[in-house]
Amino acid sequence: MGTSVFYFVATLSVIFSLMVIFSKNPVHSVLYLIVTFFTFTVHYILLNAQFLAVVNFIVYMGAIMVLFLFVLMLLNLNKDNEPLKSNMVKIVGVIAGCCLVVTLVGSLKATAISDPVILRNPNLGLLKNLGKELFGPYMLPFELSSILLLSAMVGAVLLTKKEKV
Amino acid sequence: MNIIITIAVTALVVLYAGLFKAKKALLPITLVGLLASLAFVVTSWNTNKTYYGMMQMDNFALAFAGITIVGTIFIFLLTQNYFAENSENIAEYFTLILFALAGIEIMVSYKNMSMLFIGLEIMSVSLYILAGIRKGNFASNEASLKYFLMGAFSTGFLLFGITLIYGATGSFDLDVINQYLVGNFKTISPMFYPGVILILIGLSFKIGAAPFHFWTPDVYEGAPTLITSFMSTVVKTAGFAAFLRLFADTFAPLHDFWLPPLMVIVCLTLFIGNVTALFQKNFKRMLAYSSISHAGYLLFSLVTLSGNSANNVLVYAAAYTFASIIAFAVLILVKQKTGNDHFDSFNGLAKKNPLTTLILTVAMLSLAGIPLTAGFIGKYLMFLNVMGEYQVYLVAFAILNALVGFYYYFKVIVAMYFKEGNEIELDTPVQYKVVLVLSVIITVFLGVYPAVILNLI
Repeated sequence: MGTSVFYFVATLSVIFSLMVIFSKNPVHSVLYLIVTFFTFTVHYILLNAQFLAVVNFIVYMGAIMVLFLFVLMLLNLNKDNEPLKSNMVKIVGVIAGCCLVVTLVGSLKATAISDPVILRNPNLGLLKNLGKELFGPYMLPFELSSILLLSAMVGAVLLTKKEKV
Repeated sequence: MNIIITIAVTALVVLYAGLFKAKKALLPITLVGLLASLAFVVTSWNTNKTYYGMMQMDNFALAFAGITIVGTIFIFLLTQNYFAENSENIAEYFTLILFALAGIEIMVSYKNMSMLFIGLEIMSVSLYILAGIRKGNFASNEASLKYFLMGAFSTGFLLFGITLIYGATGSFDLDVINQYLVGNFKTISPMFYPGVILILIGLSFKIGAAPFHFWTPDVYEGAPTLITSFMSTVVKTAGFAAFLRLFADTFAPLHDFWLPPLMVIVCLTLFIGNVTALFQKNFKRMLAYSSISHAGYLLFSLVTLSGNSANNVLVYAAAYTFASIIAFAVLILVKQKTGNDHFDSFNGLAKKNPLTTLILTVAMLSLAGIPLTAGFIGKYLMFLNVMGEYQVYLVAFAILNALVGFYYYFKVIVAMYFKEGNEIELDTPVQYKVVLVLSVIITVFLGVYPAVILNLI
């Protein structure tokens, strides 16, 4: 049961993430991205990572996606002002992308397939364990990421503040 | 650890000083904080402490921390008369530079992939913003956006690589990954190899090595000159320290696997950097391409891994940092006077400013790699290291490229001494004089008496 659900949702993730790239209308892309994130949430639930599932649902699907839509509306993207890409660039891009895909597929095929839904430690993703990891072995990076957030905040204020002339 | 705390606290104090309009106090506070962290670097020499299993303050980390802090002090000294008098945001600029430095200290001392990522991001996020602080300037906006998009893209590569390596080894810890490689050499998971390549790509983006260099010239040219000098000296040194920590130590057992792609990157970087620099009419853009070509020479230390690799990079990075700071400082002065940064602005500069032109000449000679300057020692060590494994063709190719380099570095010297021009007289503030003289003393001293730094690590 679990395995078939996993493969079903995984297929959906792949299909919708491809739709993100191939759809011509940027708003459609964002909507497909929301669906892709929703399938990720299902993956987290399958892994019994409830906290990550909820965070992914609220923060990514809710807040960040709305932000994306706002930015798209503000930028007013449409076909006319889309930059033209030469065929050369497209061909080079396709070749480079295909090389990457071949490498990744090849190496993943050579890896032994594990059962995707049998968890060695079913409680791994629970909030309690997550907290223990964050405030135990990973305390230093967790605390240092505050510098990252603060510098981003200072920068956002700096860039948006109107300068007195 | 105390180094990072000192720098981060200094950044916060500067931010508050800006809030209370204490404009005069900003630079002294910053310098005191940086000198204190430099003192911590000196006092913790040879202690080799590991903090929480995440950061290793060995001599490698301390040496690179020292050089980046000194470089940042010099760049802070160059802020005199640089930002507009009435600007209200100087405290924020200072804070962001200090935050970037805190990220850099994490990058030179990480022992865990998560720390590498956080350090790199702290540094990059601060730099994306710093590149765009000239809000009214189109080039600055473009530089910031381009840097941000490219940086985010390359971070994606890096993260994907880290994920694959985690999948193969089950750990972010560099020692555990190294143990895994040594212990299971015959049965390394196939996922590990693309992981290594993706990390190689991600880090090459960050240090601006070809073919991942396309952002470099535009960003370096568009960003304010002071920020460019920070990016091309301190940030680049940190990128190489991070590169070296990962590839020269942790991934060393797989050297045969990642050597061919690295060789391609080295050759392309040298060739594209040097040849494109030839055709530049703009001094700042020329320095951007020259920084690409120097990235190629710096990568030589990874072609042949030896006990000296880290020290060679340190010497080269020191030589390159101080020579570049001189070049950018003089460029700022010239630009303030003439309003543009083309080679023509340097015409006839020697008549009225003998000392400044002499110092810039020494810097150019050092970047080109003429004996008796630090740049020569750096290049010599790099070539010697590679010759240890008889990579004759690579050395021959690199020497040809170095010869190409002579041409465009000498173009500046020729313009200053032998071309007729609008004989301008530069106003050199005191702090600029201090930075120029100290940098040139370090450059010549390291060139004449390199033994001080040669066996440091």
